[in-house]
Amino acid sequence: MEVGLTHYLILAGALFLTGTAGVLTRRNSLIMFMSVEIMLSSVNIVFAAYSRASGDLSGHVFVLMNFAVAAAEAAIGLAILVEIFRLRRSVNVDDLNSLME
Amino acid sequence: MESILFYLFAVLMLGSAVMTVTSRSAVAAAVWLVFCFVNAAGVFALLSAPFLAILQILIYAGAIMVLFLFVIMMLQGPVLPDERERRPWSRIAVLVLPPASAAVILIAWLARGGVTAFSGAQPAVRGTAEAVAELLLNRYLLAFELISVVLLVAIVGAMALGRRKEELPWK
Amino acid sequence: METHAVETALRWIVLVPLIGAAVNGLLVRRMPRRIAGLLACAAVGVSFALSVKVVLRLVGMDAEQRLVTDTLAPWLGLGPLHVNIGFAMDQLSAVMALVVSGVGFLIHVYSLGYMAHDAGYNRFFTYLNLFIFAMLTLVLGENLLMLFVGWEGVGLCSYLLISFWFNDEANAAAGKKAFIVNRIGDFGFLLGMFVIGTTLLPELHHGEGVFSFQVMREYAHLLGPVATLAGLLLFVGATGKSAQIPLYIWLPDAMAGPTPVSALIHAATMVTAGVYMIARMNFLYVLSETAMAVIAAVGAVTALFAATIALTQNDIKKVLAYSTVSQLGYMMLACGVGAFAAGIFHVMTHAFFKALLFLGSGSVIHAMSNEQDMRLMGGLRKKLPVTWWTFLIGTVALAGVFPFAGFFSKDEILWKAWSQGGIGLWLLGFLGAGLTAFYMMRLVSLTFFGENRASDEVKHHIHESPATMTMPLVILAVLSLTGGWLGIPHFMGGQNHFETWLEPVFHQEAAGHHEADLVQELEHGALGETVAVLATSAHVTHDVIEGLDHAGEEAMEWTLASASLAWALLGLSLGTWIYTKRQGLAAAGQRFAGGALHRVLLNKYYVDEMYEAAILRPGYAVSERVLFRTVDAGLIDGLLVNGSAILVAIVSALLRLFQNGRLRFYAWVFASGAAGFILYLTVSG
Repeated sequence: MEVGLTHYLILAGALFLTGTAGVLTRRNSLIMFMSVEIMLSSVNIVFAAYSRASGDLSGHVFVLMNFAVAAAEAAIGLAILVEIFRLRRSVNVDDLNSLME
Repeated sequence: MESILFYLFAVLMLGSAVMTVTSRSAVAAAVWLVFCFVNAAGVFALLSAPFLAILQILIYAGAIMVLFLFVIMMLQGPVLPDERERRPWSRIAVLVLPPASAAVILIAWLARGGVTAFSGAQPAVRGTAEAVAELLLNRYLLAFELISVVLLVAIVGAMALGRRKEELPWK
Repeated sequence: METHAVETALRWIVLVPLIGAAVNGLLVRRMPRRIAGLLACAAVGVSFALSVKVVLRLVGMDAEQRLVTDTLAPWLGLGPLHVNIGFAMDQLSAVMALVVSGVGFLIHVYSLGYMAHDAGYNRFFTYLNLFIFAMLTLVLGENLLMLFVGWEGVGLCSYLLISFWFNDEANAAAGKKAFIVNRIGDFGFLLGMFVIGTTLLPELHHGEGVFSFQVMREYAHLLGPVATLAGLLLFVGATGKSAQIPLYIWLPDAMAGPTPVSALIHAATMVTAGVYMIARMNFLYVLSETAMAVIAAVGAVTALFAATIALTQNDIKKVLAYSTVSQLGYMMLACGVGAFAAGIFHVMTHAFFKALLFLGSGSVIHAMSNEQDMRLMGGLRKKLPVTWWTFLIGTVALAGVFPFAGFFSKDEILWKAWSQGGIGLWLLGFLGAGLTAFYMMRLVSLTFFGENRASDEVKHHIHESPATMTMPLVILAVLSLTGGWLGIPHFMGGQNHFETWLEPVFHQEAAGHHEADLVQELEHGALGETVAVLATSAHVTHDVIEGLDHAGEEAMEWTLASASLAWALLGLSLGTWIYTKRQGLAAAGQRFAGGALHRVLLNKYYVDEMYEAAILRPGYAVSERVLFRTVDAGLIDGLLVNGSAILVAIVSALLRLFQNGRLRFYAWVFASGAAGFILYLTVSG
């Protein structure tokens, strides 16, 4: 069967769900972060697929933006993580509960 | 030909993603993720987006993951304590819900009209650097400028957060 | 709608005392005392002068057209409901305005002397002027709503003035009692107004004022079906304001106020407002025999009832207070039998002699260093000559002795009661008149005759009052003597100018009842029966029948008048004799029936106590247990106020569960929500 738009979308969907599962399940904040990166990638695939389907390259531009944002996010997020580690000596997300009522 | 490559890249990508999510050690997860991104680059190539494919390797695999590994090493994370205490319901939910949702979406989709094919074997426009650059610097100039501000903020923020307390000009 | 003659002086009659009150009120602390008092007197004097001016204008007009109006501004214009702020003076309002401003003026002058040593001097004159304003609004209002504004206003001023020396809790309580009891009556008044309003509103042409007296009179025929209801409801208000059974209880307590207040408000003017209102609404009352019968009965019974209580009271002002209640009963009796003019006549004469008596008692109290118990008085005849003579004139006038004012007015009422009401009503009035004479002479004897029974200290200070106090007494005494001469009845050879003057106001009642009289006489009188036989057989003309009927009537009038006079003189002499020469008899009377009769009368038939037990205490109980505990504390506080707080607390407790600080929980919620939303979109889109 010819590989069509739908195939790519299903791939992206599955990736997205995998990423979500990772975010919800893991307690290690670093791995949670990586799961978020997976989710972002899945979105990139969607944009690229639609861009191919419609012939408009604007999708590619958005993917570029996404790269930049992901990079920025990774940088800041990891910096925060490092800071928290310095304070709490742990990257386990369950230990970060001081905002509770 | 294209479909074989697609299925190859797709399976590998999905598989490495699953491995990332389920790895016990953070380093292993990171490495799996690198592999996942490489496959993502392949997917981009199949989608006539060579520029994006290259950038995917450069940025994600080359910069972001390296950063990740740095931090993992710094936080002494190669081997992490066992996270055995998972409540059974959350495990089941995670294993069940995503596939279930996917199935629902899939069914609804297919019921609507089935697989959509790409129009034509090769696209009229290929996502070359020139083509993307042309769009980026003309139509999406504002977005381009703004994203550079975002990156600037990220740099400043990361530096500010990374300093030791004594080095900060404010306390 | 005819346009009536406009007279802009009307507004100033009412407004000048208001200005006086405002000036005195706003500058109450700065104003020098003398100026405050003189200003207040001047304000009322101006009102009186203007009233005279307008009345003279009325006199010059054609008898059937005597009405001047002065509309200031529209007040309400809600759909069909139109009410104006306006004044109108016709013959009836003319009488009332003159009495109010004239007697009011005299009492203001009197107060200059009486309140001279009082700390609240300026405040007193403020309130007094305010009262005159309200009373004049009441009598000069061109519609029922303006009347009601004045009605409420005098109620307010009554409260303010009764509790004038409010530092004594008893005075404050008396003021409250007056206001609250009046309020109960006002509720009935309002309901009556509503009945009239809803009946008439659908039938009016656009722009006609529904409560305007002129308009109501025009449409009076439409009020037939509701006349009894509206009339009785309005009368409830009148029993409150004019102190009839069952709402008279505030008047004796009102004696806690300064004596000029008692004279002005609780004798001469405010209490007559109910009588005025009924006279004003005569076109309504004549449509309902039931209402009139009730009014007459209540009036007659009150007249006798209050007189019996007055027999035993020891406080000089209380005797006069019950006397006022009794006399008001006579006025109501007159209105009830359709003799509105007679009722108003008595209002006027009563104003003269009752004000005189109150002011005189004030003079006595002033001389006796504020002693009011008659048992500690006596022998003041020689020491207070002017007071004594004027008081005597007032007493005789009240007792109804010819040729003093009270004779003519009271006699007129009794005659009308006999001829238009029936022998029962007349008898109640007749007995009351005798008691009136008796208890008044008891008062006079205890106060002015015999030996002075006060302490030496008080005796030392006894002195006649200053001119500002004695002059009004003299003027009122003259009026008490001559005031009745305006209404010398026909059978005595006079022309009864008073009745003639008022006749156009009560027009249909005169016609209606005259017919009724004729029929009665023809049916029941012995002479009449003969005449009837002759008439039917010989087709005798109407005039002849009237002439013969008149002869029978006149004879009856003379008989009744003489009987009243004799009875009054008997009462006067008995009263004097027992309380000067045979005090033993008085004491024996007190011990009669083991003292029980005396005690009942002295305690005013325990009416206040009955009200307390039957109405007040259950009221408190309901308020306490039901309204306070159940509704207020339980329902409103507990359920609504605290309940809503508890509700908020519960909801927030639930919401708080989402804020547990656990990051993965947050992520979960987020993901679940997003998934749910997407599922929804997918499935429904």
